[in-house]
Amino acid sequence: MTIIPGLKQKPDTKFLYELRVIKAIFIKQWLHTIRYPSWVIQLIIWPLIFPAAYILTARAFAGPDQMALPLFLQASGTQNYIGFIVVGTMVWMWQNIVLWNVGYALREEQLRGTLESNWLSPSWRFSLLLGSIFNQMITVALFFAMTFLEYRFIFQVHFEGEFGLTLLALLAGMPSVYGIGIAFASLVIRVKEADSFVKLVRGMVMIFCGISYPLTILPGWMASISMWLPQTYIVRSVRQAALIGGGFQSIRHDLSILLLFGVFWMAAGFLAFNWMERQSRRSGVIGQY
Amino acid sequence: MTTKQFDLPATTFGSYLRVLSTIALKDWKTYWRYPFNAVSSVFQPLIWLTPIFFLGKAFSQDGQALGFAAYSGSPDYMSFLILGAAISNFTSAVFWGMGFSIKNDMDTGVLESNWMTPVPRLLLLVGRTLNSLLITTITSIGMLIVATFVFGFHPTGDIWGAFLAILPMLFGLYGFGFAFAALVMIVREANTMVDMGNFLVDLLSGSQFPVQALPRWLYPLALSIPLTYGYDAIRGWLLQTTTILPIQLEMVLLVVFMIVMIVIGVNAFHALEKKVRTRGSLGQY
Repeated sequence: MTIIPGLKQKPDTKFLYELRVIKAIFIKQWLHTIRYPSWVIQLIIWPLIFPAAYILTARAFAGPDQMALPLFLQASGTQNYIGFIVVGTMVWMWQNIVLWNVGYALREEQLRGTLESNWLSPSWRFSLLLGSIFNQMITVALFFAMTFLEYRFIFQVHFEGEFGLTLLALLAGMPSVYGIGIAFASLVIRVKEADSFVKLVRGMVMIFCGISYPLTILPGWMASISMWLPQTYIVRSVRQAALIGGGFQSIRHDLSILLLFGVFWMAAGFLAFNWMERQSRRSGVIGQY
Repeated sequence: MTTKQFDLPATTFGSYLRVLSTIALKDWKTYWRYPFNAVSSVFQPLIWLTPIFFLGKAFSQDGQALGFAAYSGSPDYMSFLILGAAISNFTSAVFWGMGFSIKNDMDTGVLESNWMTPVPRLLLLVGRTLNSLLITTITSIGMLIVATFVFGFHPTGDIWGAFLAILPMLFGLYGFGFAFAALVMIVREANTMVDMGNFLVDLLSGSQFPVQALPRWLYPLALSIPLTYGYDAIRGWLLQTTTILPIQLEMVLLVVFMIVMIVIGVNAFHALEKKVRTRGSLGQY
Protein backbone atom coordinates (compact mmCIF):
# COMPACT_ATOMS: atom_id res chain seq x y z
CA MET A 1 0.00 0.00 0.00
CA THR A 2 1.33 3.42 -0.88
CA ILE A 3 1.24 5.98 1.88
CA ILE A 4 1.32 9.54 0.62
CA PRO A 5 3.59 11.57 2.94
CA GLY A 6 1.77 14.18 4.95
CA LEU A 7 -1.64 12.62 4.36
CA LYS A 8 -3.16 11.53 7.64
CA GLN A 9 -4.75 8.14 7.90
CA LYS A 10 -8.52 8.04 8.11
CA PRO A 11 -9.65 7.94 11.73
CA ASP A 12 -10.77 4.60 13.07
CA THR A 13 -14.44 5.43 13.17
CA LYS A 14 -16.75 6.99 10.65
CA PHE A 15 -18.01 9.33 13.36
CA LEU A 16 -14.55 10.79 14.06
CA TYR A 17 -13.94 11.10 10.36
CA GLU A 18 -17.15 13.13 9.89
CA LEU A 19 -16.20 15.32 12.84
CA ARG A 20 -12.99 16.19 11.02
CA VAL A 21 -14.96 17.09 7.91
CA ILE A 22 -17.31 19.30 9.93
CA LYS A 23 -14.31 20.96 11.61
CA ALA A 24 -12.61 21.62 8.26
CA ILE A 25 -15.76 23.21 6.81
CA PHE A 26 -16.26 25.22 9.99
CA ILE A 27 -12.71 26.62 9.82
CA LYS A 28 -13.05 27.40 6.12
CA GLN A 29 -16.34 29.24 6.68
CA TRP A 30 -14.93 31.11 9.66
CA LEU A 31 -11.98 32.29 7.57
CA HIS A 32 -14.44 33.52 4.95
CA THR A 33 -16.39 35.37 7.63
CA ILE A 34 -13.45 37.20 9.14
CA ARG A 35 -11.91 37.91 5.73
CA TYR A 36 -14.68 40.49 5.10
CA PRO A 37 -14.74 42.64 8.24
CA SER A 38 -17.88 44.56 7.26
CA TRP A 39 -19.79 41.85 9.17
CA VAL A 40 -18.45 43.38 12.42
CA ILE A 41 -20.13 46.68 11.57
CA GLN A 42 -23.33 44.83 10.75
CA LEU A 43 -23.08 42.90 14.01
CA ILE A 44 -22.97 46.16 15.95
CA ILE A 45 -25.42 48.27 13.96
CA TRP A 46 -28.27 45.96 12.89
CA PRO A 47 -29.27 44.77 16.41
CA LEU A 48 -29.57 48.45 17.24
CA ILE A 49 -31.40 49.90 14.26
CA PHE A 50 -33.76 47.13 13.21
CA PRO A 51 -35.68 46.93 16.52
CA ALA A 52 -35.42 50.74 16.71
CA ALA A 53 -37.74 51.05 13.70
CA TYR A 54 -40.53 49.35 15.67
CA ILE A 55 -39.59 50.87 19.01
CA LEU A 56 -39.74 54.43 17.67
CA THR A 57 -43.05 53.66 15.96
CA ALA A 58 -44.39 52.28 19.25
CA ARG A 59 -43.20 55.46 20.92
CA ALA A 60 -45.26 57.46 18.41
CA PHE A 61 -48.30 55.24 19.07
CA ALA A 62 -47.87 55.73 22.82
CA GLY A 63 -48.21 59.47 22.28
CA PRO A 64 -46.92 62.41 24.34
CA ASP A 65 -46.37 61.44 28.00
CA GLN A 66 -47.01 57.84 26.90
CA MET A 67 -50.75 58.43 27.22
CA ALA A 68 -51.69 55.24 25.32
CA LEU A 69 -49.26 52.94 27.15
CA PRO A 70 -51.97 51.52 29.50
CA LEU A 71 -53.71 50.15 26.39
CA PHE A 72 -50.55 48.28 25.41
CA LEU A 73 -50.23 46.94 28.96
CA GLN A 74 -53.79 45.69 28.78
CA ALA A 75 -53.14 43.90 25.46
CA SER A 76 -49.68 42.50 26.17
CA GLY A 77 -49.32 42.15 29.94
CA THR A 78 -46.21 44.35 30.07
CA GLN A 79 -45.40 48.03 29.88
CA ASN A 80 -41.88 47.27 28.71
CA TYR A 81 -42.63 47.71 25.01
CA ILE A 82 -38.95 48.13 24.18
CA GLY A 83 -37.98 44.75 25.62
CA PHE A 84 -41.12 43.25 24.08
CA ILE A 85 -40.11 44.42 20.60
CA VAL A 86 -36.40 43.63 21.03
CA VAL A 87 -37.18 39.97 21.74
CA GLY A 88 -39.62 39.66 18.82
CA THR A 89 -37.38 41.32 16.26
CA MET A 90 -34.37 39.36 17.50
CA VAL A 91 -36.13 36.06 16.74
CA TRP A 92 -37.14 37.39 13.32
CA MET A 93 -33.54 38.41 12.57
CA TRP A 94 -32.33 34.99 13.71
CA GLN A 95 -34.59 33.20 11.22
CA ASN A 96 -33.68 35.73 8.54
CA ILE A 97 -29.93 35.19 9.04
CA VAL A 98 -30.35 31.41 8.99
CA LEU A 99 -32.37 31.55 5.77
CA TRP A 100 -29.74 33.66 4.02
CA ASN A 101 -26.60 32.07 5.46
CA VAL A 102 -27.49 28.39 5.90
CA GLY A 103 -29.98 28.49 3.05
CA TYR A 104 -27.38 29.80 0.64
CA ALA A 105 -24.34 27.89 2.01
CA LEU A 106 -24.54 25.15 -0.64
CA ARG A 107 -25.62 27.61 -3.32
CA GLU A 108 -22.44 29.63 -2.75
CA GLU A 109 -20.37 26.48 -3.28
CA GLN A 110 -22.37 25.88 -6.45
CA LEU A 111 -21.65 29.41 -7.70
CA ARG A 112 -17.94 29.09 -6.91
CA GLY A 113 -17.86 25.80 -8.76
CA THR A 114 -16.65 23.83 -5.73
CA LEU A 115 -19.83 21.95 -4.84
CA GLU A 116 -19.20 19.03 -7.20
CA SER A 117 -15.60 18.53 -6.10
CA ASN A 118 -16.58 18.69 -2.42
CA TRP A 119 -19.36 16.19 -2.96
CA LEU A 120 -16.96 13.80 -4.67
CA SER A 121 -14.98 13.49 -1.42
CA PRO A 122 -15.72 10.30 0.53
CA SER A 123 -17.57 12.12 3.29
CA TRP A 124 -21.20 12.27 4.32
CA ARG A 125 -22.64 15.20 2.33
CA PHE A 126 -24.75 16.37 5.22
CA SER A 127 -21.51 17.07 7.13
CA LEU A 128 -20.65 19.73 4.57
CA LEU A 129 -23.81 21.60 5.50
CA LEU A 130 -23.38 20.98 9.24
CA GLY A 131 -19.98 22.70 9.17
CA SER A 132 -21.61 25.84 7.80
CA ILE A 133 -24.37 25.65 10.40
CA PHE A 134 -21.92 25.52 13.31
CA ASN A 135 -20.05 28.53 11.97
CA GLN A 136 -23.33 30.37 11.58
CA MET A 137 -24.31 29.51 15.18
CA ILE A 138 -21.24 31.37 16.45
CA THR A 139 -22.27 34.47 14.49
CA VAL A 140 -25.81 34.29 15.84
CA ALA A 141 -24.56 33.85 19.42
CA LEU A 142 -22.45 37.00 19.00
CA PHE A 143 -25.47 38.73 17.52
CA PHE A 144 -27.67 37.83 20.51
CA ALA A 145 -24.98 38.93 22.95
CA MET A 146 -24.58 42.26 21.14
CA THR A 147 -28.35 42.85 21.15
CA PHE A 148 -28.54 42.20 24.88
CA LEU A 149 -25.53 44.39 25.71
CA GLU A 150 -26.68 47.31 23.56
CA TYR A 151 -30.22 47.42 24.86
CA ARG A 152 -29.25 46.68 28.46
CA PHE A 153 -26.45 49.20 28.80
CA ILE A 154 -27.13 51.88 26.18
CA PHE A 155 -30.91 51.98 26.44
CA GLN A 156 -31.21 50.74 30.03
CA VAL A 157 -33.79 48.10 29.14
CA HIS A 158 -34.42 45.77 32.06
CA PHE A 159 -34.68 42.10 31.22
CA GLU A 160 -36.21 41.12 34.52
CA GLY A 161 -36.66 37.42 33.84
CA GLU A 162 -34.23 34.55 34.18
CA PHE A 163 -31.17 34.19 31.98
CA GLY A 164 -31.03 30.37 32.20
CA LEU A 165 -34.66 30.00 31.16
CA THR A 166 -34.17 32.44 28.29
CA LEU A 167 -31.25 30.36 27.07
CA LEU A 168 -33.35 27.21 27.41
CA ALA A 169 -36.15 28.72 25.31
CA LEU A 170 -33.64 29.72 22.61
CA LEU A 171 -32.10 26.23 22.64
CA ALA A 172 -35.54 24.66 22.31
CA GLY A 173 -36.19 26.85 19.28
CA MET A 174 -32.90 25.98 17.55
CA PRO A 175 -33.92 22.68 15.89
CA SER A 176 -36.92 24.33 14.25
CA VAL A 177 -35.02 27.40 13.04
CA TYR A 178 -32.13 25.38 11.62
CA GLY A 179 -34.39 22.59 10.33
CA ILE A 180 -36.18 25.20 8.22
CA GLY A 181 -32.76 26.50 7.11
CA ILE A 182 -31.65 23.00 6.01
CA ALA A 183 -34.89 22.35 4.13
CA PHE A 184 -34.45 25.72 2.50
CA ALA A 185 -30.82 25.03 1.53
CA SER A 186 -32.03 21.91 -0.27
CA LEU A 187 -34.68 23.89 -2.11
CA VAL A 188 -32.17 26.54 -3.17
CA ILE A 189 -29.91 23.95 -4.81
CA ARG A 190 -32.84 22.93 -7.01
CA VAL A 191 -34.46 26.28 -7.81
CA LYS A 192 -31.21 28.36 -7.75
CA GLU A 193 -32.49 31.92 -7.33
CA ALA A 194 -34.66 31.78 -4.22
CA ASP A 195 -34.59 35.35 -2.88
CA SER A 196 -38.35 35.57 -3.19
CA PHE A 197 -38.76 32.40 -1.12
CA VAL A 198 -36.62 33.89 1.66
CA LYS A 199 -38.84 36.96 1.62
CA LEU A 200 -41.94 34.77 1.72
CA VAL A 201 -40.79 32.71 4.73
CA ARG A 202 -39.51 35.67 6.73
CA GLY A 203 -42.67 37.58 5.72
CA MET A 204 -44.79 34.81 7.26
CA VAL A 205 -42.82 35.16 10.50
CA MET A 206 -43.18 38.93 10.38
CA ILE A 207 -46.95 38.85 9.82
CA PHE A 208 -48.09 35.98 12.01
CA CYS A 209 -45.63 35.50 14.87
CA GLY A 210 -46.17 38.67 16.86
CA ILE A 211 -42.68 40.09 16.54
CA SER A 212 -43.85 43.58 17.47
CA TYR A 213 -47.38 43.10 18.81
CA PRO A 214 -49.21 40.85 21.28
CA LEU A 215 -50.90 37.83 19.67
CA THR A 216 -54.18 38.67 21.43
CA ILE A 217 -54.62 41.46 18.84
CA LEU A 218 -54.74 39.04 15.90
CA PRO A 219 -58.08 38.10 14.33
CA GLY A 220 -59.09 34.44 14.85
CA TRP A 221 -58.01 33.07 11.48
CA MET A 222 -54.58 34.69 11.74
CA ALA A 223 -54.15 33.45 15.31
CA SER A 224 -54.90 29.91 14.06
CA ILE A 225 -52.12 30.17 11.45
CA SER A 226 -49.67 31.60 13.98
CA MET A 227 -50.12 28.46 16.13
CA TRP A 228 -48.57 26.38 13.32
CA LEU A 229 -45.37 28.42 13.19
CA PRO A 230 -42.59 27.52 15.67
CA GLN A 231 -41.33 31.11 15.78
CA THR A 232 -44.56 32.10 17.55
CA TYR A 233 -43.62 29.85 20.48
CA ILE A 234 -39.98 30.98 20.46
CA VAL A 235 -41.04 34.65 20.66
CA ARG A 236 -43.63 33.95 23.36
CA SER A 237 -41.42 31.76 25.54
CA VAL A 238 -38.36 34.03 25.28
CA ARG A 239 -40.51 37.05 26.16
CA GLN A 240 -41.93 35.22 29.15
CA ALA A 241 -38.51 34.03 30.31
CA ALA A 242 -36.54 37.23 29.67
CA LEU A 243 -39.07 39.94 30.51
CA ILE A 244 -41.64 38.53 32.90
CA GLY A 245 -40.18 35.47 34.64
CA GLY A 246 -42.53 33.02 36.33
CA GLY A 247 -40.23 30.00 36.33
CA PHE A 248 -40.03 26.88 34.21
CA GLN A 249 -43.73 26.11 34.57
CA SER A 250 -44.68 29.29 32.74
CA ILE A 251 -42.90 28.21 29.54
CA ARG A 252 -43.11 24.43 29.86
CA HIS A 253 -46.00 24.12 27.42
CA ASP A 254 -44.27 26.28 24.79
CA LEU A 255 -41.02 24.33 25.18
CA SER A 256 -42.82 21.01 24.64
CA ILE A 257 -44.40 22.30 21.45
CA LEU A 258 -41.07 23.70 20.29
CA LEU A 259 -39.42 20.32 20.75
CA LEU A 260 -42.14 18.66 18.66
CA PHE A 261 -41.69 21.29 15.96
CA GLY A 262 -37.93 20.75 16.21
CA VAL A 263 -38.24 17.02 15.56
CA PHE A 264 -40.54 17.68 12.62
CA TRP A 265 -38.39 20.36 10.97
CA MET A 266 -35.10 18.55 11.50
CA ALA A 267 -36.61 15.42 9.92
CA ALA A 268 -38.12 17.51 7.12
CA GLY A 269 -34.77 19.23 6.54
CA PHE A 270 -32.85 15.96 6.48
CA LEU A 271 -35.33 14.27 4.13
CA ALA A 272 -35.38 17.32 1.83
CA PHE A 273 -31.57 17.28 1.73
CA ASN A 274 -31.43 13.58 0.81
CA TRP A 275 -34.15 14.02 -1.80
CA MET A 276 -32.40 17.02 -3.32
CA GLU A 277 -29.08 15.15 -3.40
CA ARG A 278 -30.60 12.20 -5.26
CA GLN A 279 -32.57 14.37 -7.67
CA SER A 280 -29.62 16.63 -8.46
CA ARG A 281 -27.31 13.71 -9.22
CA ARG A 282 -29.91 12.02 -11.40
CA SER A 283 -30.67 15.12 -13.39
CA GLY A 284 -27.04 16.23 -13.47
CA VAL A 285 -27.84 19.79 -12.37
CA ILE A 286 -25.59 19.89 -9.33
CA GLY A 287 -22.90 21.91 -11.07
CA GLN A 288 -25.24 24.17 -13.02
CA TYR A 289 -25.93 27.68 -11.89
CA MET B 1 -6.68 53.26 -52.79
CA THR B 2 -9.08 55.59 -51.12
CA THR B 3 -9.65 55.41 -47.43
CA LYS B 4 -13.02 56.22 -46.08
CA GLN B 5 -13.07 58.17 -42.89
CA PHE B 6 -15.78 57.48 -40.37
CA ASP B 7 -16.76 60.07 -37.80
CA LEU B 8 -18.78 59.52 -34.73
CA PRO B 9 -22.17 61.19 -35.11
CA ALA B 10 -22.45 64.51 -33.35
CA THR B 11 -23.98 64.36 -29.92
CA THR B 12 -27.28 66.16 -29.89
CA PHE B 13 -30.22 66.41 -27.57
CA GLY B 14 -31.88 63.71 -29.68
CA SER B 15 -28.91 61.37 -29.30
CA TYR B 16 -28.99 61.89 -25.54
CA LEU B 17 -32.65 60.95 -25.50
CA ARG B 18 -31.82 57.81 -27.51
CA VAL B 19 -29.17 56.90 -24.94
CA LEU B 20 -31.67 57.32 -22.10
CA SER B 21 -34.31 55.23 -23.84
CA THR B 22 -31.78 52.50 -24.75
CA ILE B 23 -30.60 52.17 -21.16
CA ALA B 24 -34.17 52.21 -19.84
CA LEU B 25 -35.25 49.57 -22.39
CA LYS B 26 -32.31 47.33 -21.49
CA ASP B 27 -33.13 47.60 -17.76
CA TRP B 28 -36.83 47.03 -18.47
CA LYS B 29 -36.06 43.77 -20.29
CA THR B 30 -33.73 42.62 -17.54
CA TYR B 31 -36.29 43.39 -14.83
CA TRP B 32 -39.16 41.51 -16.47
CA ARG B 33 -36.92 38.51 -17.07
CA TYR B 34 -37.67 37.78 -13.38
CA PRO B 35 -41.39 38.64 -13.07
CA PHE B 36 -41.67 37.30 -9.52
CA ASN B 37 -39.64 40.36 -8.49
CA ALA B 38 -42.56 42.58 -9.46
CA VAL B 39 -45.00 40.55 -7.35
CA SER B 40 -42.52 40.72 -4.49
CA SER B 41 -42.21 44.53 -4.88
CA VAL B 42 -45.97 44.91 -4.48
CA PHE B 43 -46.27 42.69 -1.42
CA GLN B 44 -42.99 43.34 0.44
CA PRO B 45 -43.98 46.82 1.72
CA LEU B 46 -47.31 45.38 2.86
CA ILE B 47 -45.55 42.58 4.73
CA TRP B 48 -43.40 45.18 6.52
CA LEU B 49 -46.47 47.28 7.34
CA THR B 50 -48.52 44.43 8.83
CA PRO B 51 -46.70 44.20 12.19
CA ILE B 52 -47.03 47.99 12.53
CA PHE B 53 -50.74 47.77 11.76
CA PHE B 54 -51.19 45.37 14.69
CA LEU B 55 -48.79 47.34 16.88
CA GLY B 56 -51.01 50.37 16.31
CA LYS B 57 -54.04 48.32 17.31
CA ALA B 58 -52.34 47.42 20.60
CA PHE B 59 -52.14 51.16 21.37
CA SER B 60 -55.68 51.97 20.16
CA GLN B 61 -59.06 52.13 21.82
CA ASP B 62 -62.23 51.63 19.76
CA GLY B 63 -60.06 51.80 16.62
CA GLN B 64 -58.69 55.25 17.53
CA ALA B 65 -54.91 55.69 17.88
CA LEU B 66 -55.14 58.78 20.04
CA GLY B 67 -51.48 58.80 21.07
CA PHE B 68 -50.46 58.80 17.41
CA ALA B 69 -53.03 61.49 16.60
CA ALA B 70 -51.54 63.75 19.26
CA TYR B 71 -48.27 63.81 17.28
CA SER B 72 -49.53 63.66 13.69
CA GLY B 73 -52.89 65.39 13.87
CA SER B 74 -54.62 62.34 12.38
CA PRO B 75 -55.65 59.04 13.98
CA ASP B 76 -55.53 57.34 10.55
CA TYR B 77 -52.10 55.82 11.05
CA MET B 78 -52.41 53.31 8.23
CA SER B 79 -52.84 56.00 5.56
CA PHE B 80 -49.80 57.71 7.13
CA LEU B 81 -47.77 54.49 6.91
CA ILE B 82 -48.93 53.42 3.45
CA LEU B 83 -48.08 56.81 1.98
CA GLY B 84 -44.69 56.67 3.73
CA ALA B 85 -44.02 53.24 2.18
CA ALA B 86 -44.93 54.50 -1.32
CA ILE B 87 -42.65 57.56 -1.01
CA SER B 88 -39.91 55.36 0.38
CA ASN B 89 -40.10 53.18 -2.76
CA PHE B 90 -39.39 56.23 -4.93
CA THR B 91 -36.61 57.62 -2.77
CA SER B 92 -34.87 54.23 -2.77
CA ALA B 93 -35.16 54.00 -6.56
CA VAL B 94 -33.31 57.30 -7.04
CA PHE B 95 -31.29 57.60 -3.85
CA TRP B 96 -29.57 54.22 -4.02
CA GLY B 97 -30.33 53.08 -7.57
CA MET B 98 -27.47 54.97 -9.14
CA GLY B 99 -24.91 53.65 -6.67
CA PHE B 100 -26.09 50.10 -7.24
CA SER B 101 -26.01 50.52 -11.01
CA ILE B 102 -22.32 51.48 -10.85
CA LYS B 103 -21.64 48.51 -8.60
CA ASN B 104 -23.47 46.15 -10.96
CA ASP B 105 -21.59 47.48 -13.98
CA MET B 106 -18.30 47.08 -12.11
CA ASP B 107 -19.17 43.50 -11.14
CA THR B 108 -20.25 42.53 -14.65
CA GLY B 109 -17.21 44.24 -16.16
CA VAL B 110 -19.04 46.67 -18.47
CA LEU B 111 -18.40 49.93 -16.67
CA GLU B 112 -15.23 50.84 -18.53
CA SER B 113 -16.65 50.02 -21.97
CA ASN B 114 -19.84 52.00 -21.24
CA TRP B 115 -17.78 54.95 -20.10
CA MET B 116 -15.79 54.87 -23.32
CA THR B 117 -18.91 55.94 -25.24
CA PRO B 118 -19.20 59.67 -26.10
CA VAL B 119 -22.01 60.21 -23.60
CA PRO B 120 -21.86 62.27 -20.39
CA ARG B 121 -21.45 59.85 -17.49
CA LEU B 122 -24.10 61.57 -15.43
CA LEU B 123 -26.53 60.87 -18.27
CA LEU B 124 -25.68 57.16 -18.03
CA LEU B 125 -26.51 57.32 -14.33
CA VAL B 126 -29.79 59.15 -14.91
CA GLY B 127 -30.68 56.57 -17.55
CA ARG B 128 -30.32 53.80 -14.99
CA THR B 129 -32.95 55.43 -12.79
CA LEU B 130 -35.62 55.82 -15.49
CA ASN B 131 -36.62 52.19 -15.59
CA SER B 132 -36.56 51.87 -11.80
CA LEU B 133 -38.80 54.95 -11.51
CA LEU B 134 -41.26 53.47 -14.00
CA ILE B 135 -41.22 50.07 -12.29
CA THR B 136 -41.59 51.76 -8.89
CA THR B 137 -44.60 53.69 -10.17
CA ILE B 138 -46.25 50.49 -11.42
CA THR B 139 -45.52 48.46 -8.28
CA SER B 140 -46.44 51.34 -5.94
CA ILE B 141 -49.83 51.71 -7.64
CA GLY B 142 -50.29 47.96 -7.20
CA MET B 143 -49.29 48.27 -3.55
CA LEU B 144 -51.70 51.18 -2.97
CA ILE B 145 -54.58 49.22 -4.52
CA VAL B 146 -53.91 46.12 -2.40
CA ALA B 147 -53.30 48.26 0.71
CA THR B 148 -56.60 50.06 0.18
CA PHE B 149 -58.45 46.74 0.29
CA VAL B 150 -56.45 45.23 3.15
CA PHE B 151 -55.88 48.19 5.49
CA GLY B 152 -57.79 51.13 4.02
CA PHE B 153 -56.10 54.16 2.49
CA HIS B 154 -57.91 57.50 2.76
CA PRO B 155 -56.19 60.44 1.07
CA THR B 156 -58.48 63.41 1.71
CA GLY B 157 -56.26 66.33 0.74
CA ASP B 158 -54.75 68.00 -2.32
CA ILE B 159 -53.08 65.54 -4.69
CA TRP B 160 -51.51 68.30 -6.84
CA GLY B 161 -49.92 69.92 -3.80
CA ALA B 162 -48.41 66.54 -2.92
CA PHE B 163 -47.14 66.16 -6.48
CA LEU B 164 -45.48 69.60 -6.27
CA ALA B 165 -43.70 68.48 -3.10
CA ILE B 166 -42.50 65.22 -4.67
CA LEU B 167 -40.79 66.92 -7.63
CA PRO B 168 -38.12 68.98 -5.79
CA MET B 169 -37.59 66.07 -3.40
CA LEU B 170 -36.88 63.62 -6.24
CA PHE B 171 -34.62 66.07 -8.12
CA GLY B 172 -32.72 66.77 -4.90
CA LEU B 173 -32.31 63.04 -4.47
CA TYR B 174 -30.67 62.83 -7.88
CA GLY B 175 -27.99 65.15 -6.51
CA PHE B 176 -27.44 62.88 -3.54
CA GLY B 177 -27.50 59.86 -5.86
CA PHE B 178 -24.66 61.32 -7.97
CA ALA B 179 -22.51 61.85 -4.88
CA PHE B 180 -23.32 58.40 -3.55
CA ALA B 181 -22.55 56.74 -6.89
CA ALA B 182 -19.16 58.45 -6.86
CA LEU B 183 -18.54 57.11 -3.37
CA VAL B 184 -19.33 53.59 -4.58
CA MET B 185 -16.59 53.97 -7.21
CA ILE B 186 -14.11 54.61 -4.41
CA VAL B 187 -15.38 52.16 -1.78
CA ARG B 188 -16.51 49.45 -4.26
CA GLU B 189 -17.87 47.00 -1.65
CA ALA B 190 -20.87 49.15 -0.88
CA ASN B 191 -23.64 46.70 0.00
CA THR B 192 -23.35 47.13 3.77
CA MET B 193 -23.14 50.90 3.41
CA VAL B 194 -26.19 50.98 1.14
CA ASP B 195 -28.34 48.68 3.27
CA MET B 196 -27.69 50.39 6.57
CA GLY B 197 -27.63 53.91 5.12
CA ASN B 198 -30.95 53.37 3.38
CA PHE B 199 -32.57 51.96 6.50
CA LEU B 200 -31.26 54.70 8.81
CA VAL B 201 -32.12 57.65 6.55
CA ASP B 202 -35.58 56.24 5.91
CA LEU B 203 -36.12 55.66 9.61
CA LEU B 204 -34.96 59.07 10.80
CA SER B 205 -36.77 61.02 8.12
CA GLY B 206 -40.09 59.66 9.37
CA SER B 207 -41.12 57.14 6.74
CA GLN B 208 -43.17 55.23 9.32
CA PHE B 209 -43.87 57.62 12.18
CA PRO B 210 -44.09 61.37 12.83
CA VAL B 211 -40.58 62.59 13.67
CA GLN B 212 -42.04 64.70 16.48
CA ALA B 213 -42.13 61.43 18.45
CA LEU B 214 -38.35 60.98 18.31
CA PRO B 215 -36.32 61.41 21.51
CA ARG B 216 -34.96 64.94 21.91
CA TRP B 217 -31.40 63.95 21.03
CA LEU B 218 -32.50 62.40 17.72
CA TYR B 219 -34.97 65.08 16.67
CA PRO B 220 -32.33 67.59 15.43
CA LEU B 221 -30.78 64.82 13.34
CA ALA B 222 -34.16 64.17 11.67
CA LEU B 223 -34.62 67.88 11.01
CA SER B 224 -31.23 68.03 9.29
CA ILE B 225 -32.29 65.44 6.67
CA PRO B 226 -34.00 67.09 3.64
CA LEU B 227 -36.14 63.99 3.11
CA THR B 228 -37.91 64.68 6.41
CA TYR B 229 -39.56 67.78 4.93
CA GLY B 230 -40.48 65.83 1.79
CA TYR B 231 -42.32 63.13 3.75
CA ASP B 232 -43.88 65.75 6.00
CA ALA B 233 -45.07 68.08 3.21
CA ILE B 234 -46.49 65.26 1.05
CA ARG B 235 -48.45 63.92 4.03
CA GLY B 236 -49.50 67.45 4.95
CA TRP B 237 -50.95 67.98 1.45
CA LEU B 238 -52.49 64.57 0.97
CA LEU B 239 -53.57 63.53 4.48
CA GLN B 240 -53.80 66.96 6.10
CA THR B 241 -51.52 65.94 8.96
CA THR B 242 -49.87 68.47 11.25
CA THR B 243 -46.57 69.53 9.63
CA ILE B 244 -43.33 70.35 11.45
CA LEU B 245 -43.07 73.80 9.80
CA PRO B 246 -45.72 75.73 7.84
CA ILE B 247 -46.19 73.74 4.63
CA GLN B 248 -45.25 76.66 2.31
CA LEU B 249 -41.97 77.03 4.18
CA GLU B 250 -41.32 73.29 3.79
CA MET B 251 -41.88 73.64 0.02
CA VAL B 252 -39.33 76.47 -0.13
CA LEU B 253 -36.88 74.37 1.88
CA LEU B 254 -37.33 71.46 -0.54
CA VAL B 255 -36.51 73.69 -3.52
CA VAL B 256 -33.41 75.06 -1.74
CA PHE B 257 -32.28 71.54 -0.84
CA MET B 258 -32.87 70.46 -4.44
CA ILE B 259 -30.52 73.14 -5.82
CA VAL B 260 -27.87 72.59 -3.14
CA MET B 261 -27.92 68.80 -3.47
CA ILE B 262 -27.65 68.86 -7.28
CA VAL B 263 -24.69 71.27 -7.18
CA ILE B 264 -22.91 69.24 -4.48
CA GLY B 265 -23.74 65.92 -6.16
CA VAL B 266 -22.52 66.88 -9.63
CA ASN B 267 -19.29 68.38 -8.29
CA ALA B 268 -18.61 65.42 -6.01
CA PHE B 269 -19.18 63.00 -8.88
CA HIS B 270 -16.79 64.83 -11.23
CA ALA B 271 -14.10 65.13 -8.54
CA LEU B 272 -14.23 61.46 -7.57
CA GLU B 273 -14.55 60.31 -11.18
CA LYS B 274 -11.31 62.15 -11.98
CA LYS B 275 -9.69 60.48 -9.00
CA VAL B 276 -10.57 56.90 -10.03
CA ARG B 277 -9.51 57.57 -13.61
CA THR B 278 -6.17 58.95 -12.39
CA ARG B 279 -5.65 55.97 -10.11
CA GLY B 280 -6.78 53.54 -12.80
CA SER B 281 -9.04 51.73 -10.38
CA LEU B 282 -12.24 52.05 -12.38
CA GLY B 283 -12.35 48.47 -13.59
CA GLN B 284 -11.34 46.92 -10.29
CA TYR B 285 -13.88 45.36 -7.98
